[in-house]
Amino acid sequence: MKIQRREFLKAGAAGVVFTGLAGCAGMPGGAPKARVVVIGGGYGGATASKYIRMFDPSIEVVLVEPNDVFVSCPISNLVLGGFKTIGDITTPYTGLERNHGVRIVRDMAVAVDLDRKQVRLARGDPLPFDRVIVAPGIEFIEGAIPGLKSPEAQSRILHAWKAGAQTVDLRRQLEQMRDGGVYVLTVPEAPYRCPPGPYERACQVAAYFKAAKPRSKVLLLDANGDVTSKGPLFKKAWAELYRGIVEYRPNSKAVDVDVKASTVKLELEDVKGDVLNVIPPMKAGRIADPYITANKRWCEVDWLTYESKVAKGVHVLGDSLQVAPLMPKSGHMANAHGKACAAAVVALLNGEAPNPSPTLTNTCYSFVSDKLVVHVASVHKYDQKDRTMKVVPGAGGVSSAMNEVEADYALNWATNIWSDSLA
Amino acid sequence: MIRISIAAGLLSAAALAGAQQPAPPPAFAASNLSPMGVRALASNCAACHGTNGRPAPGSTLEGLAGKPKNELAMAMNQFRAGKKPATLMHQISKGYTEAEIDALADYFSRQPR
Repeated sequence: MKIQRREFLKAGAAGVVFTGLAGCAGMPGGAPKARVVVIGGGYGGATASKYIRMFDPSIEVVLVEPNDVFVSCPISNLVLGGFKTIGDITTPYTGLERNHGVRIVRDMAVAVDLDRKQVRLARGDPLPFDRVIVAPGIEFIEGAIPGLKSPEAQSRILHAWKAGAQTVDLRRQLEQMRDGGVYVLTVPEAPYRCPPGPYERACQVAAYFKAAKPRSKVLLLDANGDVTSKGPLFKKAWAELYRGIVEYRPNSKAVDVDVKASTVKLELEDVKGDVLNVIPPMKAGRIADPYITANKRWCEVDWLTYESKVAKGVHVLGDSLQVAPLMPKSGHMANAHGKACAAAVVALLNGEAPNPSPTLTNTCYSFVSDKLVVHVASVHKYDQKDRTMKVVPGAGGVSSAMNEVEADYALNWATNIWSDSLA
Repeated sequence: MIRISIAAGLLSAAALAGAQQPAPPPAFAASNLSPMGVRALASNCAACHGTNGRPAPGSTLEGLAGKPKNELAMAMNQFRAGKKPATLMHQISKGYTEAEIDALADYFSRQPR
């Protein structure tokens, strides 16, 4: 794999030429200041990669990502509604390489070796690093839904909670469902990726049924006691736009499925459906396992640096984090983590103190139909006494009502955040 | 030893000042308005308004790059005061201090369009 190394240097040089920065990273014979390996090219990892290169082009960045392209979870519910295609929510990784000189390695990281300071890959040679950023997103807790153990069950009962092939397959299942059928969507206990996501999904599927299969039903089985995000706004949309289509049942935790009988098992009853969409409980992605410190699920970090509380030189961000109070696991939040982490990593590699007062913002838009949108927004600042991020009192909030203006803003948000993270 | 006792004195004075205040929630760190601090702060705006305030091709959302500093600061302050109609910016702007808004306006006014 000597070639890989040579291509690496070439890519670094290309980055410098394209961005017009006269750094020494790719100069012939010149050594880069340091190397950061980023594991995972989602909203968090991709953004961190780009912003490290923007903040200090003399630092090499290698991004390890198994997928060829980035498929966005935000907006993916519109693919289920039939209002967007999978192509609309797909962005190539080439912008990071071309515009910022990030070296992208299409491979799966299997371990972080802290003694040797290298990331081991499924196929390629290990990648040495000075600091590593671990941003694998989420994975589903094994055995939480026992009936989903077999690959066959997993191919029949989808989660579609990582946008991509499953999004397309779930849309196909909905298209093939008879009119008068029941689509069952289960919501895991919080915290989970994208708090408003399941409720938006219920709206999107209901919008499709209303237009194409009006006798069909959406049954939303929520493990939580109430809608976990934008509750009054979603409930209003269900009542006003989808009366008789959406049925919401709180305190209804899915504990298992029966693939043959096509049922979701709750604690006290079985619920039958034509299309079952089960979102299992989740935890930090597997590569982050050594850094999990909270409830055996999530990774705690120092909010000034995103450095793991249990591993020096390892930074964790995005959905794998044990979030701060009122901080959602969202794409926008991961993008913000990526920038704050990038700034801290650059400071540390330059022997400087990290920013003592990081600020993060979040905006989550949800489409309650093809044209109507609601948002939730927040601003988070560092509390130096409690050493955590806290929302700024008086800032943030939700839409006053579902509205069309924000549908335009939401699609513009998507265009800009995809570009901000990947181009 | 003298140095240590002065530091201890300062500490106890600070503790006293803290004790006199009516439990101030939350204890936010002071703004970092160094060039890198402002750059990091401004990067928050990029998710919606584009990297360095330049919207991506195909986006019709308002760009921030290269706008006059006064215009940017006034808009944010008006959002913050509830004097400019908004869907969301009245909520976001309240998360920033006047000094931060001034620094952000200055930063974006200097970015190429």
